[in-house]
Amino acid sequence: MIPDRLESNLRQGFRESLLPKLGLVLLASILIMAIFAPVLATHNPTRTGYLDENGNSYPPLGTSYTTEIGQDGEFVEVEVESTSDHLLGTNDIGQDVFSRLVYGARTSMLVGLLGTGLAVLIGVPFGLVSGYYGGRVDDVMMRIADTMLAFPSLVLALALIGVFGSAGFGIPDPLTRFGLIDGMPESTTLPGTVTVVVALVTWVWFARVARGEAMSVRNEEYVTAARSMGASNWTILFKHVLPNSLTPVIVLATIQVAAVILLESSLSFLGFSGTTLSWGYDISRGQGYQRTSWWISMVPGLGIVFAVIAVNLLGDWLRDALDPNIEGEGGGA
Amino acid sequence: MSIGKFLVKRLLQGVLVIWGVITIMFALRAVSPGDPANLIVGPAADPEIRDQVREQYGLNEPIYVQYVDYVQGMITGDFGYSFQSSREVTAMVLERVPATLELAIAATIIAIVIAVPLGVISASRRNEPADYGATLFSLLGISTPNFWLGLMLILLFAVFLQDPMETYLGFTFPQGRRPVGFGEAVMTLVTTGYAGDLLTWVRHIMLPAITLGTYFTAMITRLTRSGMIDEFGKPYVTATEAKGIPYVLIRYKHVLRNTMIPIITVLGLQLGTLIGGAVITETVFNWPGLGDRLIQALNARDWPLMQGIIVFIALGFVLINIAVDALYATLDPRVTNE
Repeated sequence: MIPDRLESNLRQGFRESLLPKLGLVLLASILIMAIFAPVLATHNPTRTGYLDENGNSYPPLGTSYTTEIGQDGEFVEVEVESTSDHLLGTNDIGQDVFSRLVYGARTSMLVGLLGTGLAVLIGVPFGLVSGYYGGRVDDVMMRIADTMLAFPSLVLALALIGVFGSAGFGIPDPLTRFGLIDGMPESTTLPGTVTVVVALVTWVWFARVARGEAMSVRNEEYVTAARSMGASNWTILFKHVLPNSLTPVIVLATIQVAAVILLESSLSFLGFSGTTLSWGYDISRGQGYQRTSWWISMVPGLGIVFAVIAVNLLGDWLRDALDPNIEGEGGGA
Repeated sequence: MSIGKFLVKRLLQGVLVIWGVITIMFALRAVSPGDPANLIVGPAADPEIRDQVREQYGLNEPIYVQYVDYVQGMITGDFGYSFQSSREVTAMVLERVPATLELAIAATIIAIVIAVPLGVISASRRNEPADYGATLFSLLGISTPNFWLGLMLILLFAVFLQDPMETYLGFTFPQGRRPVGFGEAVMTLVTTGYAGDLLTWVRHIMLPAITLGTYFTAMITRLTRSGMIDEFGKPYVTATEAKGIPYVLIRYKHVLRNTMIPIITVLGLQLGTLIGGAVITETVFNWPGLGDRLIQALNARDWPLMQGIIVFIALGFVLINIAVDALYATLDPRVTNE
């Protein structure tokens, strides 16, 4: 599928630079975190109440903070010490921050990969048809694409969620279902609406790339040859044009996973995602507690940053080696 | 094709796109579950009052009549009335535009002022520490969610550094709603010569503008760097060097100018990201702009207000993109030949 020349580009890029290796290691760690969340988490991430005797959240290991509590009718300052039970402390309602960091990777990766996959499934056929047929068909389809592009993706996503609400589906977790791990959630919530919505607001970028590829190959000799042998347009499109446009689609898909992770975290931060086990949601939890409990929003944010860096590093490597001219949407948040 | 013809074509396309946006927003509202009358007067209201309200908002008309009314209203700038406050949507949108513009422009200025020199330095000192630093910065910049960055800046400047800044610098970057807008502040300065309001405004916009601008700073740094590196390899650079023109002049006058053309295009395309970013930055900093109002409208399911804001944003987006195309066409006449 990938020509030899590009394959050697890929190898060379990987060998000569530290960055793709770093990206791969980071992404692999995050994927392992997501898959083996029940094993790695120290506490059930949804269980509340891990607070000290005065109802204060624990700070990360090795730190402490002072806060005021009511005692005998007056306020007294107390020092809250960390505990080795909660590596990264607990949040305002006493949930373990480390365990939520681990589980948050699931939501990010699920939405990032499924959302991007869905966007590919919508955008690529749309773009191929538009570019292959050309003329009127192309005009109409590209105006539709322009209309989609006139909405900032976050704004359109908010509008869609405003209409359809935000539903989540529970996906059973085999590790806990079969009794291998005790005391962890039995299922992971996939924010279903959000996954569909991020695909609906990002497919256009794939359509544009696929269209360009289809336009550039539709007059190639092998397409003419296939046509002269009586192949139908659909056969030509999916057997001949599609495989030739996959390289830029793969590059773009990698870049878009980063954009989708950011989009999901933004929607969760604003409280529109349908799951409460997400890095973006946890950042919003900490918003009111900045003055004392800074770790509540800092830790999940670092999760997002590392995930997005990992994907971006791999995306840069693929882009430089395979298709330097591709343009994605970028962040969005 | 002349530039005039090119622009007319782009404007016509723009009109089509805006019509599409209006239609999509209308369709979304039409398929949205729930009786709008409930949202206006509450589900417990007297059926007679609800009927009255439905009549008043035109909700009893057949759907195509509502659509035609809606499009007609949009064309004349009448976006209807807010379900929640019964105020005119047009006024509610327009009063929030200045704050969003202030934020977007400040962020863009910060981005350009930092990114262009950084990109030039990075490209001129390839594979030196300065280049690695700039590359690392841009990687972090494009990978950081801006709402989190905003919270971390608040943590840094409005919590940890507040006292030292107050003591040693005599000012802080406060968090929270700005007490005065840019327009008023400038008016005060012009009429009374008092600059305090303007300084207050500057201190309030610093953190939100950095929050919104960081992604763009990172992106423009990347674009400038790669664009400059491409240009350095071109024959005209060798020619100007051979003529003995100083490097600084070559770099900033000739090479940078040619690099700016693709940067402007990409910036136009990324405007959606800027607006989306503004929505979320505004909610973090309580900045009284369109995004802040959009989130309120969403939470209240206030459809007319929500539609008004989104259509307005799309309109601005399309117009600015046409302006970018026009600028592009003037800078590089080849595009009109496509």
